[in-house]
Amino acid sequence: MTTPTLYNYDLDENCYKVRLLLSHLGIEAETIAVDVMPGKEHLSPPILAMSPKGALPILKHGNLVLTEVEAILVWLARTYDPDKKLLPEDPDTLGRVMMWLSFSARTLDVAVAARATALMDMPGDIEALRRKSYDAFRIMDDHLTIQQFRGEAFLAGGTLTVADIALFPSFALSRDFNIDHDEFPALRRWANTLRLIDGFITMPGIPDYH
Amino acid sequence: MNFEGWYPLLLVADVGPKKAVGTRVQGKEFVLWRDSHGSTHVWEDRCPHRGMKMSLGFVRGDHIACLYHGWEYDRGGQCQYIPAHPDLDVPQTIKIPRYPVIEAGSIVWACFQEPDSELPPFLELPSPSCGFKSIFADCPASRVAELIEKTPFNGVAPKVTAKSDRVLEIVLEGGTLTAAVQDVCEGHMAMHMSFDRFKASADQIPYSIWADQLRRDLETAARDIKTSEFAA
Ligand code: FES
Repeated sequence: MTTPTLYNYDLDENCYKVRLLLSHLGIEAETIAVDVMPGKEHLSPPILAMSPKGALPILKHGNLVLTEVEAILVWLARTYDPDKKLLPEDPDTLGRVMMWLSFSARTLDVAVAARATALMDMPGDIEALRRKSYDAFRIMDDHLTIQQFRGEAFLAGGTLTVADIALFPSFALSRDFNIDHDEFPALRRWANTLRLIDGFITMPGIPDYH
Repeated sequence: MNFEGWYPLLLVADVGPKKAVGTRVQGKEFVLWRDSHGSTHVWEDRCPHRGMKMSLGFVRGDHIACLYHGWEYDRGGQCQYIPAHPDLDVPQTIKIPRYPVIEAGSIVWACFQEPDSELPPFLELPSPSCGFKSIFADCPASRVAELIEKTPFNGVAPKVTAKSDRVLEIVLEGGTLTAAVQDVCEGHMAMHMSFDRFKASADQIPYSIWADQLRRDLETAARDIKTSEFAA
């Protein structure tokens, strides 16, 4: 099977999710660095032709061009995970995976915006974004507490799925926008578990301890 | 700042081996960390070098290292190693203030009074106990006790008894909780809860859902209190 090409920016947590999954799956993808800061290369015509919003990551495989990180994670899992653990077929677990992927895209997007506002001077109301991110983390923390009572360590069940990979970085990077991990014991435990998965990799702001 | 007696900081289970976590009491920052022998340490959350939070640091064996420039401190709070000057015999004065700690009722407690003063007595807590859950809420710690009864469990109002100014007993159907209230900072509190006997994990789920509702109710009530005080 030919390997996919990833258009990547190292400081973008959505790109990191894809790099993390690729590494976990043991796949060497061709990676093309996009100079977002300061080059603004993500707004160049060749990138916009693939990703009209200028959003990264972009994954290319033959004629297939995918944007939107959740779709990329799902495609990679379906294509390269023969055991179908990362994207299970059982409808209930799959439903839960999709629920958390939607949560990542629709609710936790405030954390991505909070970080971009804090670190990259993206315009935004940082206080409001921080508050909303905090509320989203609470929902995750409450859920993971109950998961723990059920004897399950991950978001959608007892094993790692793409949902965990989609939600992990925003929490791991929350100090970038001034939310400490102190008030989220279940998230701390979950994040520590994720640091131990096969092929775990770091990014600036996400060390392999803590 | 006036500290008196023992302060609850978190559930024993919520600081893993070789992990560090930050907390606050009346706005003052502390780090809790657990060394490789399983002992818990509570220190001022401030690196003497440039003031970085030690709770962002990492534990290596029986040392905790600051994230910023890697200064390493031993269990006594004494700086032992400065990476930029590996051969330096580190002065004894580079030391982080540390505080007495006890673990009781599945909760970690610390005492912040003068280092050489006598330790205050510790309240008798149910033993054995079973660590349950901590909630954090935008609600003044002083108002919590009176508000808990307003969040029913299985349709019944909890029965709340104050055991001390920071320890409550909450009787719910089928389970009794010890709840230790932490005054995190103005308008923000934490409540660390444990059952007074072993409770199977799966049986704790309804109580967990209740605790989440309690947090929402506390925050709503605290907002109402604020609005009415403002109006008055
Ligand atoms: S601030 Fe802690 S080592 Fe420099």
